[in-house]
Amino acid sequence: MMDFYTSNLVLIQATLIGLLLALSIQVPLRMGVFSFAGVGCYGIGAYGGGILVIHYHTSPLVTIVLAAVGAALVSFGLALLINRLGGLYLGMATIAFDLIISVIAVNGGDLTGGPTGLYGAITSISMGLVFAIVVVAVVVLTLTERGRLGRRVEAVRDDPELAASMGIKVRRYRIAAFVVSGILGGAAGSINTMLRTTVGPTDIGFALVVLALTMIIVGGARSWLGALIGAIIFTWLPSILEVVGQWQHIIYGIIVALAAIWVPGGLLGVLTEGWRAFQRRRRPPLSTVPVVAIDDAPPDADLAVLEELAEDSPVERSAT
Amino acid sequence: MTVESTVETAVLEARDVAVHFGGVRAVDGVSFRVTPGKIFGLLGPNGSGKSTLLGAITRLVPLTHGSLLLDGEPFHRVSAADVARRRVARTFQTVRLLSDLTVLENVQLGGDLRPGSFVSRVFGRTAAPAVTEAIARTRLTGLEKLRPGELSYGTQRRVEIARALAMRPSLLLLDEPTAGMNQSERREISDLLKQLRSEGLTQLLVEHDVQMMIDTCDYLLAMNFGKLIAAGPPDVVVRDPAVQQAYLGKKWREQHA
Repeated sequence: MMDFYTSNLVLIQATLIGLLLALSIQVPLRMGVFSFAGVGCYGIGAYGGGILVIHYHTSPLVTIVLAAVGAALVSFGLALLINRLGGLYLGMATIAFDLIISVIAVNGGDLTGGPTGLYGAITSISMGLVFAIVVVAVVVLTLTERGRLGRRVEAVRDDPELAASMGIKVRRYRIAAFVVSGILGGAAGSINTMLRTTVGPTDIGFALVVLALTMIIVGGARSWLGALIGAIIFTWLPSILEVVGQWQHIIYGIIVALAAIWVPGGLLGVLTEGWRAFQRRRRPPLSTVPVVAIDDAPPDADLAVLEELAEDSPVERSAT
Repeated sequence: MTVESTVETAVLEARDVAVHFGGVRAVDGVSFRVTPGKIFGLLGPNGSGKSTLLGAITRLVPLTHGSLLLDGEPFHRVSAADVARRRVARTFQTVRLLSDLTVLENVQLGGDLRPGSFVSRVFGRTAAPAVTEAIARTRLTGLEKLRPGELSYGTQRRVEIARALAMRPSLLLLDEPTAGMNQSERREISDLLKQLRSEGLTQLLVEHDVQMMIDTCDYLLAMNFGKLIAAGPPDVVVRDPAVQQAYLGKKWREQHA
């Protein structure tokens, strides 16, 4: 076990960072917010963390906290700016935000190290700290998937209008999604910089948007567990696929396409459906449940009666 | 057209409310007062503006002009969520349940409005008394763990009503709550609404079943082309020539002559 851990440490680290990054994209998606700003926040965290360590010699925990708070503030400002956009337009705006962060990284002069990036961000970061942060993130997100908060998040995504008529302030939830996404992205970026002691423009590019989305689509978009499944698959798959060389990317693409077409809920969705089917089989059939709904009338029966009643009405009726 | 039902303070008052979609005047200058503890019925052909009016009251549809008052206080500028927080609950014409949640969780969504302690705010897994009561009153006991997709259409409608009741509303707006239900189910809903009235709950009911409206409502408001064409006690409104012309038709007149 210990051998496995030490010989695969780099992959384990990459899995945990991939998980945080995937979560930073998943949180807004779970609330119906099509935002990829988490990747830009990852960039802010990665460079911000690097600058803090190199110039101010901050400790790992302080670096992570400052990077997360800074990224969250930027994300909050972005949310106020583009909150009124919806769907694809919001997605485009957040991708533009990610690209702007990349451009700043390349053109930041001495501060960002330009095209070569930053080197020598050496700290005493321990894997214990990284695990602890991932666990805290997962525990907090679990709370948003269950109980009162879980139901409300579900309502905000599925039917914002209904959510509003249940007294839910939908706009606040959407802005909160940006902030949480910023915290997760910022933390992931700073951890990555400290573990690798270096960060460059290629580490924070558009490829991360694709990677994070891939993890969520294949793993499952509804729960942190889906993000974990995705993070594990797409961190370990490349090393397994090394044997096929340049065909790697094609196999990648095929996996994503197959997942999107046949398992829209991701692998986690398959597991959840299986569990529910199992529960249904264990439950007594509906006919033995004491209260049974009787529905003989088809949904349109009352309309038919109405039509009959109103046959001779001079008023032109339009279907609602 | 102004209707002064009584002199007491209205739970809901609409003053010259209009909702225009471009050139379409879906609601065109409607004024009425809904008095406490009564069931008001909203009658009219499809497309006459009934649902749009409910949308305007719940602030999901923006008002073009006019004003709305809740217990004498204007509220047409607050958000939809704030209207709900003032205990205005509604059901929708098309069933709007969250398909991934169970019946219990869907009803809890209404009960969540009153969270109570911090613990129940975050976790909120045990059902509040309002939720249990709403489920029992709509005869959903035993079905709590099912998901909407596993229920018949009429039962789904009852979940809609339960969710609204779980909000412990002071004003309940019902948009065709019995659509797709059979006669016995309709009677049951009608009985439930009357029982809620006896407990003091004010209701505004949109329905196409005229007989049910006559049996259930204290007052009827009839709409056509976005305007109120008649208002008053049910037996008066259904005899109104304009209402018969616009909505009821010859057969109904003959049957009820």
